[in-house]
Amino acid sequence: MRISDRRFALFLMTPAALFLAVFVAFPLFRLVADSFFKISPIAGGPRDFVGLDNYFRAFASEAFMGAGWRTLAYTLVVVTLEFALGLGMALLFTTLGRSSQIWRTVFMYPLMIAPIVAGLLWKFLMIDNFGLIGTLLHQAGMLSNPNQIGWLSDPNIVLYSVAIPDIWLTTSFMCLVLFAGLQNIPGDLIEAARLDGARAPAMLFRIILPLLRPVIAVALVVRGIDAARAFDTILIQTNGGPQSASETMSLLIYRTMIRFGDPGLASAMGTLYLLAMLAVAFVALSTIWRPGKDN
Amino acid sequence: MRVAERTRPDGGKAAPVVAGPSVPTTTRSSGRKRRGVNREGLEAGRRSTRTLLWVLLAAAMVLYGFPFLYLLFTSFKTPIDTIAVPPTILPREWTLENYTNALGRSGVLASFINSIQTAIISTVLSLVLAVPAAYGITRYKTLSGRIFIMAALVTRMVPPVAIGIPLASMMASMGLSDTPIALSIAHTTISLPLSIWLMSSFFEAVPNDLEEAATVDGCSRLGALWRVVIPVVSGSIAVTAIFAFLASWNEFLFALLMTAIRSQTTPVVIANFQTQFGLDWGSMTALAAVYSIPVILLTLLLQRKIVAGMTLGAVKG
Repeated sequence: MRISDRRFALFLMTPAALFLAVFVAFPLFRLVADSFFKISPIAGGPRDFVGLDNYFRAFASEAFMGAGWRTLAYTLVVVTLEFALGLGMALLFTTLGRSSQIWRTVFMYPLMIAPIVAGLLWKFLMIDNFGLIGTLLHQAGMLSNPNQIGWLSDPNIVLYSVAIPDIWLTTSFMCLVLFAGLQNIPGDLIEAARLDGARAPAMLFRIILPLLRPVIAVALVVRGIDAARAFDTILIQTNGGPQSASETMSLLIYRTMIRFGDPGLASAMGTLYLLAMLAVAFVALSTIWRPGKDN
Repeated sequence: MRVAERTRPDGGKAAPVVAGPSVPTTTRSSGRKRRGVNREGLEAGRRSTRTLLWVLLAAAMVLYGFPFLYLLFTSFKTPIDTIAVPPTILPREWTLENYTNALGRSGVLASFINSIQTAIISTVLSLVLAVPAAYGITRYKTLSGRIFIMAALVTRMVPPVAIGIPLASMMASMGLSDTPIALSIAHTTISLPLSIWLMSSFFEAVPNDLEEAATVDGCSRLGALWRVVIPVVSGSIAVTAIFAFLASWNEFLFALLMTAIRSQTTPVVIANFQTQFGLDWGSMTALAAVYSIPVILLTLLLQRKIVAGMTLGAVKG
């Protein structure tokens, strides 16, 4: 006897669903549960229920609020620059057409590089004293002293410096997505606009960008989520320093958990962080989807 | 939202492309017509414009390629020149000293084996779970399928730092702490949702009649999936496998939280060079180069095959 299609579909999905339930949902449940306890960092140590105390402590701590703002600033900078550069490259590849195909492939190479390696190689370019960028700018006469800009040591700019590897690493992704989107714009539409005398800026802002809107929105959300979780590149470049000036939420939670040994507080921070991400992503996605409008 | 794979005869990148809700896949019809006059759509026509654009592209490629080249050059410097002030772009003297230092360090070769093991286990696990799940979601359009793919989407938003510690303690209670198995399970929490997405969009492209014909011929549904559908999408499975492999190979945070000496992967070892041995920049650059080059080459080499396999699959289907 044949089982119904619905049962069969369920049967196919069950293993993956079970896996995600056990190894994602359950740890998340543990995280939320832990956030209501004061937990000793020693295994088997005391565990006292403290209600919302950890949440109050999180909101009261300057480190938490600071990390929140820094994560937001970091994400905005990364996503904006990546989008601008990625769109520029995608347009460049499109206008050059088929003959740029090889370069399009080469341009993708950072996508395969580990973020930890990307962070390392940029640290090597930006570090004080033997960093290459300062030296090159100095030799070009743009800086009076190779160490004039403390890319990774000046608390005022470090948050933007640590974003560079992230931008370098994933502009390719943005470019790839936008390039695919550009290929789907019908050629006759562009031709018609050109015949109507549309110049390049009008073409870009009135025709190309509006047509790409769904693609752009999805790319921005996907990259925004990733940027807000950035950890590896920052850890290896500055470890959140100097003076926590590059400490984003992932780093703060990691340090609260591991270095300061306060799993309860770290769990409360993690829960809030997750809720914020879900809220932003939900709002972003529901504005993109706008049921009935685009489909 | 869905992730759509685009491969086109003009050799578009075989990589997942996140597309908006139902963007029609129109391939560019007939590339160039009369040279210089009527280029299709956005392609630039005038020769002077094209020259300018090529210069722009060359500049962008140099800027984009330089950081990694500098890492490579640095890895061939002598350990002292590595941190010389002022730094030079090219090594004054080319040597493999940094490589012999890095690879000779205890634990480094073992970490490579751990990385490979972890990535392979995680890739296999992702595919074994994702392929049937994605098939169930796309072929039978049930409510549970829609809920499931949304849940997989939400999983993508979970910060690894939030579940890393609970996951580590779960592994410990299962007696798996500090093993490649535990780490590959953690990595699968990242690659499984991605694989489900990718495979779902690949299955969308396979016509229904294919396995209908097979079931008429007396195949069970599971048999039709295994013998008819999977061979058609084997190229897509390869693409998904590469992404799952890379996700694990390059992952750092779970590896940092869940491994100690025995199952440490190379990214953790690279990061540890900073503290454990003082600032051993030379070895760090050498190890980073050794770790990155195989995956860059592999992906670039396989790309053509994947594109060919996929277009073949599409023609057959």
